Amino acid sequence: MSAENQQLVNVVIDGKAIQAPPSLSVIQALWHAGYPRVKGVGCLEGVCGSCRVLVRREGQEKVGMELGCQTLVEEGMQVLFLVFPNPTHHHYELGEIKNSWDVQAEFHRIFPEANSCRHCGGCYSACPKNINVELGVKLAGEGRFREAGELFVECIMCNLCMTGCPEAIAPNHVGLFARRVTAYFHARPSNLIHRLELLRKGELEVDCNSPGSQPDNAAN
Amino acid sequence: MTVSNGTPYSEALSAYQASAARPLKPAGDDTQTLLEQYHPDYRADTLDTIKVGPNSGDRCHRQLAELLQADARIDEADLAGAPVVKTDVLVIGGGGAGCAAALVARQAGAEVILATKLRLGDSNTVMAEGGIQASIEKSDTPQMHFDDTLKAGHFNAERELVAAMVKDGPDVIRWLIQQGMQFDLDEFGDLLTRRAGGTSANRVCYYRDYTGLEMMRVLREAVQNSDIDVWDYSPAVELLANESGHCAGAVLSNLKNCSYVQVVAKTVIIATGGIGRMHLNGFPTSNHFGATGDGLILAYRLGAKLRELDSFQYHPTGLAWPQHLAGSLITEGVRSAGTWLLNGHGERFIDELLPRDVVAAAILRECAEGRGITIEDGVCGVWLDTPGLELRNPGILQQRFPKLLNLGKKAGIDPSRSPLLIYPTLHYQNGGVVIDANGATTVPGLYCVGEASGGIHGKNRIMGNALLEIISFGRRAGEHAAAQRHNKGHKQVGLEHLSRLRRELTISGMPMERKSPMLFPDCAKFDDDADYDGLRRHRRNKVTQE
Amino acid sequence: MSQLNQVLLHESNRVGADLEAWFAAAGGQGLAKALAAPEAIIPLIREAGLRGLGGSGFPTYKKWGFVAAQSNSKEKYLICNGNEDEPGTFKDRILLQQAPHQVIEGATITALACGINHIIFYINPDQQKSIEAMREAVSQWQASEQIAAIEKVLGKTIEYRVLPSSGHYIGGEETAAIESVEGKFPFPRGKPPFPAESGVHGCPTLINNMETLSNVPHILRNGAEWFQGLGLGASTGTKIYCLTGDVLYPGAYELPMGTPLSTLINDYGGGMLLDKKLKAVFTGGPSNTLLTPKDLDVPLDYESVRERQSSLGTGAMIVISEGTGIVKRVSEYVSFFAHSSCGQCPPCKTGTHYAALLLSKIDTGQGSRADLDALENLCTILPGAGRCHMLDGALKVMESSLYHFRHEYEQALVL
Repeated sequence: MSAENQQLVNVVIDGKAIQAPPSLSVIQALWHAGYPRVKGVGCLEGVCGSCRVLVRREGQEKVGMELGCQTLVEEGMQVLFLVFPNPTHHHYELGEIKNSWDVQAEFHRIFPEANSCRHCGGCYSACPKNINVELGVKLAGEGRFREAGELFVECIMCNLCMTGCPEAIAPNHVGLFARRVTAYFHARPSNLIHRLELLRKGELEVDCNSPGSQPDNAAN
Repeated sequence: MTVSNGTPYSEALSAYQASAARPLKPAGDDTQTLLEQYHPDYRADTLDTIKVGPNSGDRCHRQLAELLQADARIDEADLAGAPVVKTDVLVIGGGGAGCAAALVARQAGAEVILATKLRLGDSNTVMAEGGIQASIEKSDTPQMHFDDTLKAGHFNAERELVAAMVKDGPDVIRWLIQQGMQFDLDEFGDLLTRRAGGTSANRVCYYRDYTGLEMMRVLREAVQNSDIDVWDYSPAVELLANESGHCAGAVLSNLKNCSYVQVVAKTVIIATGGIGRMHLNGFPTSNHFGATGDGLILAYRLGAKLRELDSFQYHPTGLAWPQHLAGSLITEGVRSAGTWLLNGHGERFIDELLPRDVVAAAILRECAEGRGITIEDGVCGVWLDTPGLELRNPGILQQRFPKLLNLGKKAGIDPSRSPLLIYPTLHYQNGGVVIDANGATTVPGLYCVGEASGGIHGKNRIMGNALLEIISFGRRAGEHAAAQRHNKGHKQVGLEHLSRLRRELTISGMPMERKSPMLFPDCAKFDDDADYDGLRRHRRNKVTQE
Repeated sequence: MSQLNQVLLHESNRVGADLEAWFAAAGGQGLAKALAAPEAIIPLIREAGLRGLGGSGFPTYKKWGFVAAQSNSKEKYLICNGNEDEPGTFKDRILLQQAPHQVIEGATITALACGINHIIFYINPDQQKSIEAMREAVSQWQASEQIAAIEKVLGKTIEYRVLPSSGHYIGGEETAAIESVEGKFPFPRGKPPFPAESGVHGCPTLINNMETLSNVPHILRNGAEWFQGLGLGASTGTKIYCLTGDVLYPGAYELPMGTPLSTLINDYGGGMLLDKKLKAVFTGGPSNTLLTPKDLDVPLDYESVRERQSSLGTGAMIVISEGTGIVKRVSEYVSFFAHSSCGQCPPCKTGTHYAALLLSKIDTGQGSRADLDALENLCTILPGAGRCHMLDGALKVMESSLYHFRHEYEQALVL
């Protein structure tokens, strides 16, 4: 079952014909074959969104968008790394929104194109996490930020929906906006507030030489 | 690590059966003996004594020592034609600590450049699952948080730093919420908390098992929406010093157009994260691709003192198989929920909730003494008995550990039916650059925050303190560094300290072939990359070719 | 020069929206023949060898035959496609502004041939003059006594409608045009079903280019043999070539189908500007393989151009000389496609976006070898990944420019 004893598969990654064991991810296969790869590599665990790849499997017309660290090589597979920057083209600071009653209006000021969704579904089909991106944008447009934000829980900000959007909506940033305003305006945990109050009044000091922090007392 | 005569994987798997009760084997060794015999930190063959620089005479892991005492990647001549950009604060590193520092420094009115080796947010922060510690429950106090941290770190932590951090805890959570970060709340809107291994109260705030992801995407968005100048694909290859030896900026390598830039700054904050990708002792790692310890090297060359260079955290439950996922972390929460560890004979061999270093050592002991489970070529591990957990708590995996089930899917293993083969994975650098409560190092003008800094965790870290530390000290350093922007400028800025380094290396008879910082893991073959043509073929060669 | 503008753009036909003048110039004669024997239209068109002049070159009679054969359906649509948004193509607007009745008569004859009762003139909204001319011309038709005769033969009432398209390039694609007529965003549909079976509101729908339709009255009036005789060699009819770029006299030239490229450039275009050397020709879209100086002899008809692995397309010929940067030009066109991609197929949207980014990087002196490699690899991995042909068109331009002008890409690289 080790890499060396497995039947090798033939793949083409960034134009390089490579033989690799099928237990390797696309990135690992590239390294395995001795090719350098720095750009488009990140956490290697599928949460950072760096390693976006185009993937075409043998005999298929379809070309998919996937994450290179999460995609195992298969016989006849073609892979191409998509390395490009996606600067956000929106600029806002939560502090500028003075009142939670204004959030929806502010949203449309910050993301004016969010209303121009043409419902092509490209964002949804490009999402490696299968998030219903299009619905999220719609909900945000209706001011249903908490609901919209919930859809983006697993969003890794890979920006594939943003590149895929013909109306330049930046759906992932819309989703993140929805999540951020929800926390900013609505998270008011009373246990936290109470603790902050005690700290402010100086009722919770820390003794740097406390009995509980001495080796002898703590040896249990 | 020698692996002898373990039970073959297929044999162990067919012998395995989930069971509701398994007694814990009586402990043979006391924990100290266990650590000394099996924890990688204690292995004499991997330790070295530092010969050059402020930590001369200190013990250090051999691989780290090699890099600390290696030659610089650049010469002064490489800077010919390199543009100079001036700023108040230069933050090196785009993870949680770097973003927090940059945001606070900018808020305080400083001009800030944030340079990151890869992209903003490519960091270990994004991968953190467990959560962030802050004492907010009625049953908890900052003092208990302090005591727990000290104890877990074997009383090696800097008390002043720990006290500062635990008192910051609740305000850190507030600050994060103000950046727009969500936490899991109960029906009344109170923060939910859970308990970390080796602690005395429920103190870990979390957002599902995506705490780090949620934190990082929020901070990244906040940075991108501010006036902070973000330079991606721009690793720092050397720091700059002024006439007094104070830190005066850094030389960045712009990987996009293969040229060097000198950023001259009033203050520099190093937030470069950990060292997992050095793969100490050949261990797999749970760390991000960019975690190569660059900040330690840069700070050390400029004269910053380091600490606990021989102490690293090996997280007990890294996936050992399949190969493409080796090193992937399985959150401690799974053991907190009551999952057992079993050896090749199906026996429990350690209390799974003991501190991470002890559990990791016990796993290594089982493997070394032939009670592990082996898959050819020296891949060895023990079972993480997830089916047993599911048997005793039906539905728990689905409910509480969706990310683990996802991992199982990728591995082609259903954790509710089949145990997972695990082996300790290199997880965290306990020590780092010596700092004070402002995050300032022993070199004026140079700050260090996050995993690259040392002193907060002693010789072992508890779950949830890493995320707390990066925000707590990130904010502290950002604020303090920003306040230095009114200082007079540097009279002279250069690489004089490299001459000193080279003299000392030569006198000590150190090999000069190796260059550092390493910037990227060896497997990525950065220096051969046609895309970049390596750093050595930067600007200088280009000019000569023309 | 005597072969220039013989038919569609003949001076006598360019009477504007003036129905009387159109009839005075022998307009209406084709329609009269059609009304007399509607069943003879399709065989005549077949004999004449008329083909889709919007780019496909598909035999017109076949397309008509499919729609005519849908006998169960009472409602049938004809979309007269004047979306014309491709860089370098500007023939429809001339036809619509200067000879609107020619198109209307052609469309009417087509309707008679296929039993169509809804005629929609689908026109790019940026061409306001074309829309105005067509609106005026259509109202003249509707007021004329012809309508009664047409409806009598057709057996149902006939509707003429001028509909501005959405202005998206992709709206010119057949199935996208159908979506647009239905009031939706012009997303291309998957085929089958083909429009001839199920198009606008599920009814049989025929889509023809304005130039194709403009030929119809003349074929009816003058006969198939006449039409065949217009073309050179085996080709039939004429083609309006839109010549632009580095020539002395750019413009729309109606010439016999199969006129050699060199004749178009030298005899009609006045030769290369400043006598510079020809470098390449972007044909019809510009979404096809580039033609190069060795292709100067190619007769500009569908088969001959296809033999050179390219396509005649809309008949646009964007001629560039030695002074033009191929990378810059390809970069501009690929950005056009990236901007025009409708979004439905992520490989198309993201693929063209990425290609445009790489091209612009290389063109502006910031590209590395890895960028060039990535560009080439895009051409390998992406073909066929889109629902319509837009992606493939963009890839063809890139691929052929890389094949013929690789050295220019190489020279622009850093390192």
